[in-house]
Amino acid sequence: MARIELRGLRKVYPGGVEAVTGLDLVVEEGEFVVLVGPSGCGKTTTLRMIAGFEEPTAGEVRLDGRVVNDLEPGARNLGMVFQTHALFPHKTVFENIEFGPRMRKVDPATRRRRVREVAARLHIEHLLDKRPAQCSGGEAQRVALARTLVTEPCAFLLDEPLASLDAKLRRELRAEIDRLHQELGRTFLYVTHDQEEAMTLADRIAVMREGRLEQVGTPLEVYADPVNLFVADFFGSPSMNLLPGRVRRTAGGAWFEGPGVALALPPALAGAPEGPATLGVRPEHVRVGGPGAAPLRCRVTLVEPLGRDTLLYLEHGAARPTVAVVDGAAPYRAGDVLAAELAPERLYLFDAAGRRVRPREGVTP
Amino acid sequence: MRRAARRRLAALGRLLLLGSWGLAVAFPMYWLVATSFKPDHEWFAWPPVYWTRTPTLENYRTVWLGEARVYRTQEALSMQKPWLALRHSLTIALLATGLSVALGTLLAYGASRYGLLSERRLFNLLMLRMVPPIVVAAPLTLYYSALHLLDSVTGLVIVYVITTLPYSVWMTKSFVDEIPREVEQAAAILGAGRWRTLWEVTLPLIRSGVVATFMFVLILTWSEYLIALILTKTEVVTLPVQLAKYEGSAEGRVYGRQAALAVGVTIPLIVVGCLIRRHLVRGFSFGMVRR
Repeated sequence: MARIELRGLRKVYPGGVEAVTGLDLVVEEGEFVVLVGPSGCGKTTTLRMIAGFEEPTAGEVRLDGRVVNDLEPGARNLGMVFQTHALFPHKTVFENIEFGPRMRKVDPATRRRRVREVAARLHIEHLLDKRPAQCSGGEAQRVALARTLVTEPCAFLLDEPLASLDAKLRRELRAEIDRLHQELGRTFLYVTHDQEEAMTLADRIAVMREGRLEQVGTPLEVYADPVNLFVADFFGSPSMNLLPGRVRRTAGGAWFEGPGVALALPPALAGAPEGPATLGVRPEHVRVGGPGAAPLRCRVTLVEPLGRDTLLYLEHGAARPTVAVVDGAAPYRAGDVLAAELAPERLYLFDAAGRRVRPREGVTP
Repeated sequence: MRRAARRRLAALGRLLLLGSWGLAVAFPMYWLVATSFKPDHEWFAWPPVYWTRTPTLENYRTVWLGEARVYRTQEALSMQKPWLALRHSLTIALLATGLSVALGTLLAYGASRYGLLSERRLFNLLMLRMVPPIVVAAPLTLYYSALHLLDSVTGLVIVYVITTLPYSVWMTKSFVDEIPREVEQAAAILGAGRWRTLWEVTLPLIRSGVVATFMFVLILTWSEYLIALILTKTEVVTLPVQLAKYEGSAEGRVYGRQAALAVGVTIPLIVVGCLIRRHLVRGFSFGMVRR
């Protein structure tokens, strides 16, 4: 078991590219934390610094309180799973899994027993005599997991382990990883650019952008209470509708006006400063066809049936159509004209810099 | 129909082109072998004798078994040591090649993984080879005489290791570069030290490349003539040097004898090549395609 602690972690590559800028993060014992962000945001670099493959330019990596900056990767008792599996192609699956215990001088009989146990746990007993090249992508990733698991590391570092698999396998292995975490109770730090993976797996999500942590919180926190425009836009599928415009204050309260939209801000957001702003609303909070205080006159431009739900693309004069989620059975067609309402209690307002304008507490909309 | 005809024509053209090229390459080899079986008077015969009607092993016997009827002084002098030359050549070529490839692999690994040598430095290393050997012959002889390395196996091994090292580094580096770092990092985090990782993971993966490099360098050192000629006198003799000695002052080149020795010079390389053929094909193809 291990608690991973990053203090002021920074990485500047030769040439001056700053991949990670002063990162502070604590992953508690047994916790499943997902580092998520677009590619190039420094999440993999962070993971590689924890593993010991990259030397931090500044800051500390602590495992259970001990600074491990100067420890070789093999001495940190961590396990790592790579996106490319990184199996040894010239060794059989058995030899691959046995490699870790062999390096740690475990006696051959124990080694064999442990390889068999781990293989059984990950359902790859039938692969033991094969070479990695003879395994499918999903099988190879299971082998990679087994190879890590067998060394009983105090924490698992996973670098986009599912990125090279197809959607169905990805879901399958995601569930497997979730199960492993629950059974083992070890610390997991998982890197991905896929917000869905982050939402489903994480105890806590750490959102990164341009080498910085934007927000750390439970999946529901980052989804329902994003700190800025970037986080709000990153999570959710389909993503949040973002309407550019400005806030104007009058005696009667605050108004939001933009191309194709003009509405009174709810009392909780009435304190918003004047000036350019962005209004956000999740597709599930766009009410279609209902009467409301701030209806939008819309024309349906595209209907995307997903089965249980249907996505409507609503054109109302804004640069981008507003997306609404409606019941899959609802009989909408492209070209329909209808009224839509943005749920006032579910509006997000962001200032010109993209920071969230927090609703005032205790004010009912 | 027309397409099929055109395709057949193209195939024929290809066959002709490659066939004539193959002939041009193979003919000297054929001539060498043929000459080695000819009796004396047919070496220079005109019109040329393509395949003798009276094949003889005399050339081989004279050269390799020393059954010389000593009637030409010069020949008698120079024919003394084919086996010594073979032994020296084998020792020098194998030692020098082994050392060169071993050192080269380590250097290439360091360059590829730890940035030990920049691309520029590596290129400078290759520039070493652009100096014609004859240019450094005189200074090298001076050095060697001061170091008492003239006319010694050690001396030749050292100079061959140095001159072939650039090739070894460049060739093996292209193979090391193709091994994903993550494979080595996986080994590292599983507890393997750096040398252990090199031995257990990297080397087995570049084995074919190392073998191909070995063969390439072996050919270089095995057939090197100029430096060997300059740096040896009487104690040490290599096969290429020995080969050039088959020249009588009165009767010109003794082609049959030379051919018999030349066949002996060629066979070891062919044998080595056949033994490691599997690696050669893989090594030469995958290293070269990418670069």
